[in-house]
Amino acid sequence: MTGPSALWSVTLSVLFLAACDAGPPRRADTGSARDSASVEQAGRIAAEAYREAVVAADSAAHEKISESNRYGGTIVVAGRNDVLTLNPLVSTDIESVQHQAHVLFTTLVRSGPEFESLPYLAREWTIDPEGDRITFHLRDDVYWHDGVPVTARDVAFTWQRVVDPEVPFFNPAYFDAWEAVEVLDEHTVRFTVRPRSNLLYGWAVTAIIPEHILGDVPPSELADHPFGTVNPVGSGPFRFVERIPGDRWVFEANPDFPEDLGGRPYADRLVYRQIPDDAVADAALRTGEIDLIVDANPASAQRLSADSTLVVTSFPAAEYALIAWNTRRDPFTDPSVRRALTLAMDRESIVDVVRGPYGSVSAGPVGPWHWTYDPAWEPFPFAPDSARALLEQSGWTDEDGDGVRENRGVPLRFELFFTPRQAWMDVSTIVQANLADVGAAVEPRAREQASLVPMVTSPDRRFDAFLVSWARDVPLDDRDLWACDRVDDPMQFTGWCHPELDAVLDSMQFVSDRESLRRLTRRYETLVADAQPYTFLYNVETVLARRAGLRGVSADARGAWASVTEWWLDPEARR
Amino acid sequence: MGISDRVVARSGGPTLIRYLGRRALQAIPLLIGIVTLIFLILHLAPGDPTAVWFNPNIPPEVLDRMRVNMGLDQPLHVQYLRWVKAFLSGDFGYSYTQFRPVRDVIGDALPNTLLLSGTSLLVIFGVGCAVGSVQAVRHYGLTDSLLTFVTLFLYSMPGFWLGLMLILVASTSLSWLGLPVSGMTSVDHSLLGPFRKFTDVAQHLVLPTIALGLASAAGVARYMRGEMLEVIQQDYIRTARAKGLPERTVILRHALRNALIPVVSLLGLYLPLLFGGALVIEVVFSWPGMGRLMYDGILARDYPLVMAASFLFAVLVVVGNLIADLLYAFVDPRIRYE
Repeated sequence: MTGPSALWSVTLSVLFLAACDAGPPRRADTGSARDSASVEQAGRIAAEAYREAVVAADSAAHEKISESNRYGGTIVVAGRNDVLTLNPLVSTDIESVQHQAHVLFTTLVRSGPEFESLPYLAREWTIDPEGDRITFHLRDDVYWHDGVPVTARDVAFTWQRVVDPEVPFFNPAYFDAWEAVEVLDEHTVRFTVRPRSNLLYGWAVTAIIPEHILGDVPPSELADHPFGTVNPVGSGPFRFVERIPGDRWVFEANPDFPEDLGGRPYADRLVYRQIPDDAVADAALRTGEIDLIVDANPASAQRLSADSTLVVTSFPAAEYALIAWNTRRDPFTDPSVRRALTLAMDRESIVDVVRGPYGSVSAGPVGPWHWTYDPAWEPFPFAPDSARALLEQSGWTDEDGDGVRENRGVPLRFELFFTPRQAWMDVSTIVQANLADVGAAVEPRAREQASLVPMVTSPDRRFDAFLVSWARDVPLDDRDLWACDRVDDPMQFTGWCHPELDAVLDSMQFVSDRESLRRLTRRYETLVADAQPYTFLYNVETVLARRAGLRGVSADARGAWASVTEWWLDPEARR
Repeated sequence: MGISDRVVARSGGPTLIRYLGRRALQAIPLLIGIVTLIFLILHLAPGDPTAVWFNPNIPPEVLDRMRVNMGLDQPLHVQYLRWVKAFLSGDFGYSYTQFRPVRDVIGDALPNTLLLSGTSLLVIFGVGCAVGSVQAVRHYGLTDSLLTFVTLFLYSMPGFWLGLMLILVASTSLSWLGLPVSGMTSVDHSLLGPFRKFTDVAQHLVLPTIALGLASAAGVARYMRGEMLEVIQQDYIRTARAKGLPERTVILRHALRNALIPVVSLLGLYLPLLFGGALVIEVVFSWPGMGRLMYDGILARDYPLVMAASFLFAVLVVVGNLIADLLYAFVDPRIRYE
């Protein structure tokens, strides 16, 4: 009796789990910037202004509770995903990167609200007149949490590891214009660079790592080194206390953090907890077990906002949802068909159902989170009649009267793939109904992420269309998605490309003034909107739900934790 | 296996050790079969461990390098042999997603799952046997009918739903109880004294234990009621009553012990269910145990983690069954160890 029961219970569990999927973990990067030495002063002013804005937002509380009474308490933050490692060399998920850049470590520079580079660990920097060398002057009052000063050698070491081919750093593009490093003295480091837009952005999201701890570790072993998971040592406003894997990370205020950079944060302790189930996170927020949910479920956010003890806010996330059409296959080879399908979709209703007030119909690849976003740029309207006319023109008519159009005997019928999460079920249901109205038959197909990804990225591209949302990055380097010479690369799902777009996307990587970048982005959007290789569905807003007693939380596209040192608890809200 | 094994076990001493040895030997091919099957299912299922990094910002070369680091560029049989070789030398490898050795990952999670399963097991058999006995003693009375309704209701409820309902109730109308609805410890746990640490974990255990154990407890209660009813009608119970023993002694000493024998054999059946249920309940209650590791690991195709975790579950189930068989011999009052 031992045999079969043991065998089957374990095997069945595996089979059961292989068949379900909680949806793709949100992968990430946010942020980037205008980069020029002259920005430094403006940067300081912007940082001040930002700080003031945070304070003003909480002015009511400000009047009642004096500055000195804001110190103390434990702030507990909950998110759907675990922070898997605090090793800045190997992280891609939002939660990990945010904790590295804003909580445990310092970065060389940091981003302002428009992703301009502001001083942080580097108090200033100069660029040679030829533009090929950049010299950073570091602060001398920042220390690793074990007491060792943070020096130019740490910066040089971080860069050397990030560009090391043995290290699986996920965003090598951040540093592909950085060619050599030279440590001039304890607090001065000089890099040789090539021209690049958003040159400094990588330094705003990649935390500096300690050479005195990791210097002797072979680069190939850095990814799995216990530094990231067991005993990280940072230099930021919070110090590492403990980690209970699968449950929480605990940090405490760093009393020695330089006053100029914000000084000791208000909270005594900061805890991050993983709560995978949205309903449980809601309950924990109501019972006061947690103070803040980052990326709350939009549906429950509407219920939570009715509770007077809670506050729900949101900010534009660097994320949009889309349907990618495989233009290698009929009928998607025809741009008129793709345009017709977009016109036939009621994207306002989709946003209403899936995001409620926390999203907007998307017109193209650049959303409200990015400083190049143009609010005047109109998405395609919901126009089923125009869609029908377009389909008629391109030869799709319903000859046999079964409700599905045909073209030379081939019905307008295709599969739409997505990962099995509620949002995609809802979207696909609406899309199916909308497209049926104009005579196109959609067959929704759910596949868990680990099997869907190889289908759409492998060279044979075994799909008609798929539904996905993803986080984009500040540098807007979308060449992987569209470039003609990358048509066989994994991310060129659609197979659609355009020589002019290639030139535009290339130029976007090398212009340094913001106006040119804005113009190029407009052209990029126009070319993509005209061809509709994607149907852009909606832009996402990240929802923050917090107890009213947690104050000073102001978040924008830089991420939920960007203002973490300003967070404070009402004395009566402390546990 | 079967009856003859149990008879041998009852005689105790060196025979018992030999019996245990034989059961251990029998388990080896079973475990090899299980891990091989799981290896095949995992690797033949469509999927790619690097899919969790599906993001246009990450260049394909980086993912290719990750695949090589994971050994996924090798043919399947090479991967299998490599895994077996490392496994036999006690090396479970590195988790793809956790950036830590699998041994550490499991070492953190397994005690938590054992704790939750252990308390649930107590609830299943403690509550189950008590309720079943009460029903049998009061059979066909109001208490019996009421408990029959309740146990049948609970028995047919899925554990995750029960868990969500418990969370709902605990965070609204029963919030004055102050029962935590997620996690295993409070945020200030590390600052507490030893006794408060204990009660803190105990409080966190309440809801997940109920959610995990109650449905099975209802099952045991139904079974216990049946067994008990049968035993109470036996001649020796009538004899016991006839010789003037107090009803209490009749029920507790004579009826209960005999009715327990077949119920104990349920232990072997419930163990796999318990570990399977923990998979779901741990996700619902954010309990940092093996269930969540397995769940996340399977979705992410974290092969080394899932292989090691499945192997451990298999071992636990085999050991659990062995314990059930030994208990079976132990509780049978007709057996005396000489």
